[in-house]
Amino acid sequence: MNIHEYQAKKILNRYGIFIPRGKVAYTPNEAKRAAVHVSLRGPWMLKAQIQSGARERGFFIDSKSKKGGIRLVKRRRDIVREAEQMLGETLVTEQTGPAGKLVSRIYVEAFQKVRKKFYAGMVINRVVPALTLLIANIEDGGKDIMTKAVENPKQILKIKLDLKKGATLRQIEKVRRFLELNEPSRKHIATLIQSMHRAFIENDATMIEINPAGVTKRGRIIALDAKMSFDKNALYRHPEINRLQDDYEESSRELKAQKYGFQYSEFDDGNVGCIVNGDGIALAAMDFIKTKGLGACCFLNVKGGVDRDKIAAGIKIIMTNPKVEGILINILGGFLRCNLIAEGIIAAASEVGLNVPLVVRFEGTNKEVAKEILINSRLPLIIADTLEESVDKLIAAMEESE
Amino acid sequence: MAILANNNTRVLVQGITGTQASFHVRRSLDYGTKIVAGVTPGKGGTEHLGIPVFDSVAEAMQQTGANASVMFVPAPAVRGAAQEAIEAGLDLTVCIADGVPIQDMLEIRRMLKDSHTVLIGPNTPGIITPGEARLGIFPENIHRKGRIGVVSRSSTLTYEAVLEINRAEMGQSTVIGLGDDMVIGMDFIEALDRFADDDETDAIVLIGQLGGMFEEVAAEHYKNMNHKKPVIAFVPGNTVPFGHKMGYAGDIISDGKVSAQDKKDALSDAGMVVVDRISHIHGTLQKILS
Repeated sequence: MNIHEYQAKKILNRYGIFIPRGKVAYTPNEAKRAAVHVSLRGPWMLKAQIQSGARERGFFIDSKSKKGGIRLVKRRRDIVREAEQMLGETLVTEQTGPAGKLVSRIYVEAFQKVRKKFYAGMVINRVVPALTLLIANIEDGGKDIMTKAVENPKQILKIKLDLKKGATLRQIEKVRRFLELNEPSRKHIATLIQSMHRAFIENDATMIEINPAGVTKRGRIIALDAKMSFDKNALYRHPEINRLQDDYEESSRELKAQKYGFQYSEFDDGNVGCIVNGDGIALAAMDFIKTKGLGACCFLNVKGGVDRDKIAAGIKIIMTNPKVEGILINILGGFLRCNLIAEGIIAAASEVGLNVPLVVRFEGTNKEVAKEILINSRLPLIIADTLEESVDKLIAAMEESE
Repeated sequence: MAILANNNTRVLVQGITGTQASFHVRRSLDYGTKIVAGVTPGKGGTEHLGIPVFDSVAEAMQQTGANASVMFVPAPAVRGAAQEAIEAGLDLTVCIADGVPIQDMLEIRRMLKDSHTVLIGPNTPGIITPGEARLGIFPENIHRKGRIGVVSRSSTLTYEAVLEINRAEMGQSTVIGLGDDMVIGMDFIEALDRFADDDETDAIVLIGQLGGMFEEVAAEHYKNMNHKKPVIAFVPGNTVPFGHKMGYAGDIISDGKVSAQDKKDALSDAGMVVVDRISHIHGTLQKILS
């Protein structure tokens, strides 16, 4: 689960990390008031609050101006106009996909002059597994962080941290030297690293990214940007973080699926709706659909669901998506029993009707019972025995119904 | 023989009295698995499905000689249940639960370091040695006894792999679902080593998954193995459309190598036979083993 920059900054600030003075605004007028509040004379930073990186290099859909989602504003009288160009508009970045994300609020900050910038990230290296600190220098006009990661991973310092104790003095010193920070920054880099670690551990985070952190003339270190993601499996122990979830960031179908404990994703890729019970089968099905010249527009992963009514509600999410012209159901039952899916299909179809071809393929726990339920239902659906057969049968049925 | 679990494995079930546990314990018993004890704190001294229930893993081990466990406890209780299994010194424990907090798993991994216990999962169908033992939730009726090992990060594709082996008119020695969580217990490396040492396994089917560098690390290990068996590998996700991202840290930690193709290239460079479709597994198996 992700949160916005201003929320992440507030959390990190509570752990002792310096941040520029800032205030969130939902309207252009609020932005103007916020600007005066954070700095009398400016300049100011106006920052679109969407959960994505690369906002500065992004662009707004249908906008005449080529400016991105992060703007430096020098004159107070320009604030309203700049805010108007961002609020209520859709920002596209390399991380949002072509549909972009709606900007419902902006963060107005006092511009902070720095003499040096660097990247600081904290993430879990899954394979080791270990909490890992990532540090890299950022040169003005230099290569971006991803290019460095791919071309020359050595340009990024990676340090394994102890889960409970965080960084040792030696590790902190290593970071200081790597960044060529001078004496006055010594205590600030230590604070930054230890505060990131505490914020990570105490909130069950999965990622913290300060990109960039800035070093002032006097050696203070300030988070100029901040991102935090959290472990959704641990949100039950952090109700205050759970409340920060921004429903604007998810489509209504995604939200509905989440409510039932399912995972739903939409793509601009075709018109097949897929219902599966795992990521692996979802991806394999998608790969195969693609080889046949079709694409998937949405996926519902019912995981190990065991409640028939919830499964029916989930299936309805797909059945009522207007983009769907054919439905493919591939269930490999283990924990999940196929008969529950069969009952869910019938319940959903009887409520919203079945207007597009539907192919079902069951394998595993209670498969035979499930097939019988479907046959007895007399619904116009097609049964298949393998993944490939199910895709072939769906394509044939979709061509026929055209 | 097979690996990790066979008809000599004495299994205890943690959280045996739950509905889902009961459903699957019954099936495992019917399959012939030696389930000798259940553990549910507060219900010690009772019986469930004809199996004696104890208050703790240590007590159940002492009384019944159990050496492996399946955890059917809910996600928030996994940390405690795993700690109990590890401290009691079980050889093997299988964690079915989906939704275990990542930090809990990091702590469990630290406990595992100082023990001899092997933990499979979480978020896994478990492990099955056809005809001998079923520890988990596998649809047992699709499995056939044979000489192909299966190790997979994807639960659903584990079943596809098993069906493919059946289509090749072969069977499975042992099938292991590693689980698809951020942090897992057992990994590909340990499975490859154990299958290499198993004289009932001739070849291995390995199913990867997007996320993490488990396949890359496994490839590096396979390259350096002294005596190795043929491995057929599949990784889905070639055509995965754009997913929303948040920041760069996740990509940096894997040096920007995040695609299915990166993984397939690594596995293939290491000498494994990589197939582009899961349905190509049976033909490839027949070719390799003929």
